[in-house]
Amino acid sequence: MAKRKRLHAAEKLQQKSAKIPKQEVKIKPVRHSDDPHQKKPKWINKQRVLIFSSRGISFRDRHLMSDLRTLLPHSKPDTKMDRKDKLLVVNEICEMKNCNKCIFFEAKKKKDLYMWVSSVPRGPSVKFLIENVHTMEELKMTGNCLKGSRPLLSFDKNFDTQPHYAIIKEIFIQTFSTPNHHPKSQPFVDHVLTFSILDNRIWFRNYQILEEDGSLAEIGPRFVLNPIRIFEGSFGGPTLFENPQYISPNQYRKQLKLSTADKYKNKQDAKTAHQLRHAKQGNTYKVNPTDDIFQTLPPEEAVGVEKKMFSRKRSLRKIGTVKRTP
Amino acid sequence: MSASINTMELDGESDYSSSDEDNSDYELQKAFEEGKLQAGLNYATPVPKTCINNKDGMKAKLTELKIDLKWVERMDSVNDPAPLAPELEAEGIVAEDEISAEDEFNRELRFYRQAQAAVLEGVPKLQKLSVPTRRPDDYFAQMVKSEDHMKKIRQKLLSKKVKMEMSEKAKKLRELRKFGKKVQVEVQQRRQKEKKQMLESVKKYRKGTTDNLDFLNGDVKGDNKATASQQQGRGNKKRDYKNKKFGFGGQKKRKKWNTADSSADQRGFKRSKSGEKGRVMVNMNKKRPGKIRRQKERNKK
Repeated sequence: MAKRKRLHAAEKLQQKSAKIPKQEVKIKPVRHSDDPHQKKPKWINKQRVLIFSSRGISFRDRHLMSDLRTLLPHSKPDTKMDRKDKLLVVNEICEMKNCNKCIFFEAKKKKDLYMWVSSVPRGPSVKFLIENVHTMEELKMTGNCLKGSRPLLSFDKNFDTQPHYAIIKEIFIQTFSTPNHHPKSQPFVDHVLTFSILDNRIWFRNYQILEEDGSLAEIGPRFVLNPIRIFEGSFGGPTLFENPQYISPNQYRKQLKLSTADKYKNKQDAKTAHQLRHAKQGNTYKVNPTDDIFQTLPPEEAVGVEKKMFSRKRSLRKIGTVKRTP
Repeated sequence: MSASINTMELDGESDYSSSDEDNSDYELQKAFEEGKLQAGLNYATPVPKTCINNKDGMKAKLTELKIDLKWVERMDSVNDPAPLAPELEAEGIVAEDEISAEDEFNRELRFYRQAQAAVLEGVPKLQKLSVPTRRPDDYFAQMVKSEDHMKKIRQKLLSKKVKMEMSEKAKKLRELRKFGKKVQVEVQQRRQKEKKQMLESVKKYRKGTTDNLDFLNGDVKGDNKATASQQQGRGNKKRDYKNKKFGFGGQKKRKKWNTADSSADQRGFKRSKSGEKGRVMVNMNKKRPGKIRRQKERNKK
């Protein structure tokens, strides 16, 4: 009886194995205990990105941050960090959150946004100034893609020319490309992230792949990254690179102010100079000073004191008449 | 120069600054004598900022940072912008190096082309690795932008399109109107010319230079009629009728008088419409039946 049962069980097992589709890994009917366990070869690249910001971030920047969070399924959020905390604290936060990459948005003066991209335990880290932010919410971006689908990354040729761009490229690849078979990711590739260098800045664009022959639609967000510094460590350490073309927004605003101040000053200077010049010259039009002497009123038109000034002598006429008479 | 510095160093630090000043003055004087300096053309050059650029350190860091993984894990590519579509190779598209950040059209086109190149390179690679690039139509999942948002986008696109169409239409109308005006002016000019010709020929006839009277029933008149009818067809019907009825332009006096011909003309006369007399006449055609017949008729009713 027991034999029969075992036989049944064996048959059932066979039937079950027949039902399993061919693609699956076939498990051998007999396995030794010291055989290595066959794992499914899947999620290897375990990059986790912590995306968060400091306090005092503007709404637009917050939307940009949330856009990045939706685009990167391998990201983790965190609460905003206090402004007073030292930046090195971020490293500890990342460690606590089990992340090895970090995108940290640092807002200053409620108008300037800086972005740190860092590889956490050992560096390097790059600090950017973010300019020209357009979020995904804007209606001019017509594309759409799956949430969590993996992007193709496209870099400009200039990224290979200089070592600081090479470092930036590598760190971007590791943070922005979604790991293959990440549990939160979708199995299709339907958008492209492009990084291009123009005007010493890095321009970020996100396009949907409409057709595979290369027609695209922009999804957003858009932003421009102006690199400031590359540090050897994560959020600190010795500087590897400093951007000579970078002008801080404070300095820029100061220049603007100065230029307007100069404008006012120049105007005032010009005014005083003009006055001085004209005081020296006196008249601008050459006038004969004797012209005024013979400007006298005829006695008929004279009023008040003027009457005493001039009186026509009748004798003059008489003289004339005298002359005429032969 | 170097010698003088040496002596300065020997002198000691206390009068370093003063001697240095003297020295620089002397140098300036000398330069001025030689004619290298000119008044009013000198300004302090800003000292260039010294920026750190530790290339070796960066290279070392890069090798440390790199992770050895297959391409599928990274999916990166370095591309030049894709070749332009033939229909886009028109003027106004700036060469690669001359694109300025302010020129939005060319800038965006450049980024777009770069993305295109990435797609053209990346998609076949992915297909070779059997990574799906097209989402099947029955695969539904959460999208980056919600359905509401996409609806808004669609509405905006539509309204933009409508606006464009409207403006195009208005433009066309304006053009047409302009053209119509042109035609009108031309017609007026032609008419004036014809009139002038006519008057001239009349003058000539009067003077006796010609005794040709063809111009009176020449083509000119026919043309005139045609244009008039054209104008009528185009214009206001009510106005046309009134013009016909009461006259428009020309002499108003004496025109409406009856003449012998007009009074003799009986074309417009209709008996049935011209009052009682006519009606009587109509009745007179029917003879009144006799008395007996009439009575019989009455009895029938």
